[in-house]
Amino acid sequence: MGALIEDESPHGANGPAAPRKRFGWTWLGLLPFFAFLSIFLLLPTVGLIRKAFVANDSSYTTKGFTDAISTEGAAFWNSFKISIITAILGVIFGTALAYAAATAKRPKWLRSLVSAFSGVAANMGGIILAFLFLTLLGRQGLGTKILADNFWDPYKSWFSINDFSGVVLVYMYFQIPLMVLVTLPAIDGLKSSWREASANLGGTSFTYWRRVGVPVLAPSMLGGFLLLFANAYSAYATAYALNTQSNLVPVKISFFLRGDVTGRSPMPFALATWMILFMAVSMGGYLVLRKRAERWQKSAAA
Amino acid sequence: MAKISGRVKAYLGRIGPTLVLLAAAVFFIAPILSTARAAFHKVPTILLNRHTWFQKWSLEGLRRAFKEEYFWTTLSLSLKLAVITVLITMLLLVPTALFVHLKLPRARALVEFLTVLPYVVPPIALVAGVAAFFRPNARWFLNSDFALAPFYVVMAMPFTYRAIDAGIKAIDVRTLVDASRSLGGSWFTTLRKALLPNMASSLLSSAFLTATIVLGEFTIANSLAKNTFATFSFEYFSRDAQGGVGLALLTLVATTALLGMMTLLTRTKSRKAATMTRF
Repeated sequence: MGALIEDESPHGANGPAAPRKRFGWTWLGLLPFFAFLSIFLLLPTVGLIRKAFVANDSSYTTKGFTDAISTEGAAFWNSFKISIITAILGVIFGTALAYAAATAKRPKWLRSLVSAFSGVAANMGGIILAFLFLTLLGRQGLGTKILADNFWDPYKSWFSINDFSGVVLVYMYFQIPLMVLVTLPAIDGLKSSWREASANLGGTSFTYWRRVGVPVLAPSMLGGFLLLFANAYSAYATAYALNTQSNLVPVKISFFLRGDVTGRSPMPFALATWMILFMAVSMGGYLVLRKRAERWQKSAAA
Repeated sequence: MAKISGRVKAYLGRIGPTLVLLAAAVFFIAPILSTARAAFHKVPTILLNRHTWFQKWSLEGLRRAFKEEYFWTTLSLSLKLAVITVLITMLLLVPTALFVHLKLPRARALVEFLTVLPYVVPPIALVAGVAAFFRPNARWFLNSDFALAPFYVVMAMPFTYRAIDAGIKAIDVRTLVDASRSLGGSWFTTLRKALLPNMASSLLSSAFLTATIVLGEFTIANSLAKNTFATFSFEYFSRDAQGGVGLALLTLVATTALLGMMTLLTRTKSRKAATMTRF
């Protein structure tokens, strides 16, 4: 019916006039969607990027944009370090946990438990997560007390829940489960027949992983790394609840938005624009790799 | 001999994974247990020892929190926001996704691209966008508490659209529509009797996930100075730590229950279906 004609029209040689007419009217069906997204996402985004490049005297300049990175260099560096560290650790532990859960045979419910719990923990974040860890490893926390009484006082050495080490530890609580959710389908996609085929051809366990396992898992792992990086880089609520003075980019954006009553300073908008750039690179890479990884999962399901 | 060594080898091979699972169990369960203790145990950690461990357990912290006037007003606001966000999401995205499938397959790539854009503009950047665009142009809009809902719809869009789209792909929409239309059903009847029941599980799971995210959302609510349940919990924690921790535990339990319900309700054909996330 209608769809058939539409599918063919771009290939047909019936001139530009007819398709253009149809083009106009059919696309109107998407108007509510486009309008909604424009008002609540696109226009605000364009607005904030524009403000990053407008000086106090409303002339266009890149000064605010470059100033942001030079004066808030420490915040950028901290955010970057936290994101890289928690992403690497998240990839390692998340993949290990997913593999352990996927290959465990004995308690049958183990795999679904790990998967379901990961769903809860990966979505948690926010202030609740900060509270959970404050009760465990805060200065008056139960875990701190147990550790200090028996082994080692974390607050007398390098650890504090309110600084860098604390944020890294707390972020692992959502980074690891998120990685589990990313790699679990990929690990399920590894068919046992591939391992048998490799063994029949004389391959050792090492050859199997080098030639089959790792190449198949690689898109998920790399994609997972980018996703985890973006996730940690943009996380605000947990860091803010642990320490309202955290020197991290998201906390700084909120700090400057609050402090700037006139709405003239380009600082929060420049910081947000930088964040959008970082997100575009890492999330864009993740989405591309996700498409790639799903190829194996589809073939495994078939 | 070979048999035994094979079994030993398999056993040794499981040591690594077992250790990983045990370590994970400790890391993920310990904070929940310590939170439960902090919420219900009225002994300061410094005085904690063999003798005090079993004394003074009570629900007093939570009871105090329940007596707060703001507890009820903020909870009701957050629940209303969750419902409104889910409704807007469904009314906006279900017709859009169906329209793309049935009438405008050419637009699929563009629409998919637009729905993942919120990943690139995380909540804290969206807040800056609101300050840049809505403050000067439509300040009146931000005065309402419900101004949060459309931003939550945007925040949730990457996974809500994906779930709805997957639900549509899983059924043969074209055949269902043609069958219903040729039997004389109107578009509304087709939607209500043929399409929506078949998409129920994907709609439900995205609705539940959206609701849990709205209930815990702090960044936008705090930046726009709205008193939602999350901002109340944060503020209350600084006044009454025990009550605040109790609220956190309550939220955690409620979130888990919601997501658990989602898993149970949507566990139909594909038992191995991936757990849903924001991503």
